[in-house]
Amino acid sequence: MSDEKLLVVTDLKTTFDTANGPLPAVGGVSFDLERNETLGIVGESGSGKTVLSRTIMGLQPRTKVSVTGSSVIDGFEVVGASENDKRKIWGTEVAMIFQDPMTSLNPVMRIGKQIDEALRVRLGMDKAAAKARAIELLELVGIPSPQERYNAYPGMLSGGMRQRVVIAIALACSPKLLMADEPTTGLDVTIQAQILNLLDELKDRLKMSVILVTHDLGVVATRTSRIIVMYAGRIVETGNTRDVFYHHRMPYTKALLESSPKVSNHSHTRLVTIPGRPPNLLSLPDGCAFAPRCSYATDQCHLVRPELEPSTEPGHTFACWNPLPINVEGALA
Amino acid sequence: MSSVDLVEVQILEGSRKRGEPLGVLFWICVGWIALNVFIAIFANVLPFQSPLNQDFTALNAAPSLHHLFGTDDLGRDILSRVAYGSRVSISVGVGAMIIGFGVGAPLGMLAAYRRGRFDAILTTVMYVMLAFPAIIATIAVLSFWTPRSLVKIIIVIGVASIPLVYRVIRTATLSVATKDYVIAAKVQGATDRRILMKELLPNIAPIGISFLLIGIATVVTLEGALAFLGLSVTAPTPSWGNMINEARTILQINPWLVIFPSLALCLFLLCLNFIGDRIRTHFDVTEVKL
Amino acid sequence: MSDVRQPLLKVRDLEVTFHAHGHAVSAVAGVSFDIFEGETLGLVGESGCGKSTTGKALMRIVEPSSGTIELDGTNVATLSGKVLRAARTKMQMIFQDPISSLNPRRRVKDIVAEPLDCWNKVQGDERATIVHDLLSKVGIDPVVYGDRYARQFSGGQCQRISIARSLAMRPKLLICDEMVSALDVSVQAQILNLLEDLKAEYGLTLLFIAHDLAVVKNVSDRVAVMYLGKICEIGPADTLYESPAHPYTEFLLGAALEADPDSPMHSQTLEGEPPSPMNPPSGCRFRTRCPKATQKCADEEPLPQEVAPNHLVSCHYPLTITHKTPTPTAVDG
Ligand SMILES: Nc1ncnc2c1ncn2[C@@H]1O[C@H](COP(=O)(O)OP(=O)(O)OP(=O)(O)O)[C@@H](O)[C@H]1O
Ligand SMILES: Nc1ncnc2c1ncn2[C@@H]1O[C@H](COP(=O)(O)OP(=O)(O)OP(=O)(O)O)[C@@H](O)[C@H]1O
Ligand SMILES: [Mg+2]
Ligand SMILES: [Mg+2]
Repeated sequence: MSDEKLLVVTDLKTTFDTANGPLPAVGGVSFDLERNETLGIVGESGSGKTVLSRTIMGLQPRTKVSVTGSSVIDGFEVVGASENDKRKIWGTEVAMIFQDPMTSLNPVMRIGKQIDEALRVRLGMDKAAAKARAIELLELVGIPSPQERYNAYPGMLSGGMRQRVVIAIALACSPKLLMADEPTTGLDVTIQAQILNLLDELKDRLKMSVILVTHDLGVVATRTSRIIVMYAGRIVETGNTRDVFYHHRMPYTKALLESSPKVSNHSHTRLVTIPGRPPNLLSLPDGCAFAPRCSYATDQCHLVRPELEPSTEPGHTFACWNPLPINVEGALA
Repeated sequence: MSSVDLVEVQILEGSRKRGEPLGVLFWICVGWIALNVFIAIFANVLPFQSPLNQDFTALNAAPSLHHLFGTDDLGRDILSRVAYGSRVSISVGVGAMIIGFGVGAPLGMLAAYRRGRFDAILTTVMYVMLAFPAIIATIAVLSFWTPRSLVKIIIVIGVASIPLVYRVIRTATLSVATKDYVIAAKVQGATDRRILMKELLPNIAPIGISFLLIGIATVVTLEGALAFLGLSVTAPTPSWGNMINEARTILQINPWLVIFPSLALCLFLLCLNFIGDRIRTHFDVTEVKL
Repeated sequence: MSDVRQPLLKVRDLEVTFHAHGHAVSAVAGVSFDIFEGETLGLVGESGCGKSTTGKALMRIVEPSSGTIELDGTNVATLSGKVLRAARTKMQMIFQDPISSLNPRRRVKDIVAEPLDCWNKVQGDERATIVHDLLSKVGIDPVVYGDRYARQFSGGQCQRISIARSLAMRPKLLICDEMVSALDVSVQAQILNLLEDLKAEYGLTLLFIAHDLAVVKNVSDRVAVMYLGKICEIGPADTLYESPAHPYTEFLLGAALEADPDSPMHSQTLEGEPPSPMNPPSGCRFRTRCPKATQKCADEEPLPQEVAPNHLVSCHYPLTITHKTPTPTAVDG
């Protein structure tokens, strides 16, 4: 059992039925995740990161959406499972941290009670045991004087502290997989570093796997072992973090890396830009979705969509008809 | 020099459409209201019988070719009384709202834009006024301020509606006044007047208009209620409200006398409310529609 | 970067105190700096340190409680009425939220012409020509999109329109408050490059407020670091980033995430969160989180001292400057 992959996603598709026609937010994604691994999912706004991570867990609106493919978490097939069955794995197998800690906490409930609830309902603990465990969890996520904070309301905590509480709730039933959707967007750099360090540390201590969803390449650079780059609802490149950063083959990955400003740049460094805007998912082109913005695009790119194909390094794949040459080490720095 | 990047401007999906379409029903309602207003204004020019003329040959008559809506217990033509009655009802509704909006709306906008002490004092005063139930205050004043006339009724209801209008407009303005584009206008050197007229007014107008229509409907009902208590215009001048009130006593003998004015009142209210609601949703650009 | 230039903006002892719920919040507590003609001053710091309040106080959108703001020789802090309105046109501000910066019910060309209309500067054809030029400069086709309503544009496009509007009166100083924080990396790079181009073309001086250290480094000549309402360090961008003199700056830079897996991981992270501006610590405001703090830091407020040319730091125990020359060598490893 334990040598099996924790998560296997195969050809997962999520299509929303909108007033303007079908909107393929996730258009066929396959990947898997080892135990005790941190995977980063990066991409621009609207590339489908949030929808993908929610679909993997089976969290999607009940109507106006169709999901096909498969997502197997520790042997449990999520796609097509009933709400009741999914509830059994939520919390215990897989838990999620959302971007906005304010809206994911109930503002009129003491934070201790919010953690207790999960413990008592899911694990059937009694009141005293739940409280003891809740305080333990608050301590685990680095909240100072957890005894007192147990009785605080979310509004009395700062953004960083609230995000720690959200993490504590997610960890309440010791999940094997933690989905973190933009866990630090909106937090200050110093607080962001604290939260990322905490996640890193908890991952090793609790032997979890973490999926870190973000639009910030800085967040995934040093904290993940593997990265998925998404564009218009599909994976365009995936591989070990270092390979994606240093040996990327897909022009989009290159453009994304080059367009983000770096602290090590000299002042007044001219940034490389990607012309145009992300595609409209309602009318995706037949070929590669990035082709209209790509300087390497040929006729073939506009007509036929490239599939993921392996690069030289193990586990490194990319979807491009005109990939960058293998040795692009100098392109960075 | 100008190495401006190529921008492929893509218009956001669905944003061409402004909210929901207005629909046929909306225009039917507008047509009905327009007809009502037309009749109210030109009742004496249009070929109606005199509303006071008594036809002793037909008391409590059922609808007929001669009296399309029938007659009342004094033989007066109900159709013409409904038509003339709309004059009172509509002018009370419109007149009171002109007072209410004329005073309440500018004050509400100014208070929300200025904030500070001006706002604090004004809002307190308005809330104190709101604390008296408008209907009871209206009844009290009208009972003492005799002889009652249309103008007095309009003034009393109009004044009573000021705090309500103030509250709605102030809240609407507050949500707009904190937007960055208002600050941006200030930064460009726009005068307060310009900001109020160009930036704030267009953005609160849909809410204002929709509240205005619903307000008219409410006042028309209120006039009916006052008539019911005998506090509206005195007989024999007809209004929808006092017609229904008079009809109450002879309901068994002459149902027409209650049916037609009620129908006129209901349709009028229904149409106004519907139009108000549609306008609000149609012009709402703040909700992003995916 | 010669010292003979006259500062365009000279701010001295600027203070802003808000009164909320009976408490006095000292959001900006005595800030002094100069901005020279044609340069970009970056202003960084954690959330709530008073960056936006400083920018708004300069524009007199919030009232400074004391201090002077000298723009081109006139003290803006004491002006009122029409003179103030006129003085404001020499400065302009661009806001964080691109969508809410534009009135959704007005046409793009009217939005851009608004400053002209406010002052009745020009009419008819001349007005149309200016608007046409401005929109073309920011990369929005005036013929196709001039008549559209602001609500029909994406965030990046709205920010372009905001820039066009701010340039209509030919201001000397542009205050950019987090103008790219709401945008995606690829769009962010487009806007930053556009800003650099326009700065050169219009001879603008910029105050660039942002919390993203990498973005600030890329656009600024000099950078000021703010902590709890005070500037703790100000100096040339390259030297300040390479060799910070204030312990807070060092922590801040250490927490900044670089989109590079090989970037050094800083083991030391800043613990805790900034104290409340309602009752700031005595002496040095950073002392409660500073590992080097001594009794002196609690008793005496550190005054700005020059540790290198143009590089001022307010700290009793500044870090030693390793590179005296303002020409940095590439940072690696
Ligand atoms: N409930 C829904 N109904 C219709 N479309 C939706 C729904 N939820 C998401 N979408 C669309 O799916 C696409 C992907 O959205 P998603 O939120 O996954 O993007 P994202 O990569 O998480 O972006 P961000 O970085 O902004 O969070 C978007 O175009 C979005 O408009
Ligand atoms: N109108 C106001 N009334 C009361 N307090 C205010 C007001 N505006 C700002 N503050 C307070 O002043 C302090 C500084 O706020 P400011 O918005 O300038 O911070 P900032 O550095 O821009 O932060 P961010 O990065 O979050 O934008 C904060 O503590 C804030 O709560
Ligand atoms: Mg998302
Ligand atoms: Mg701010």
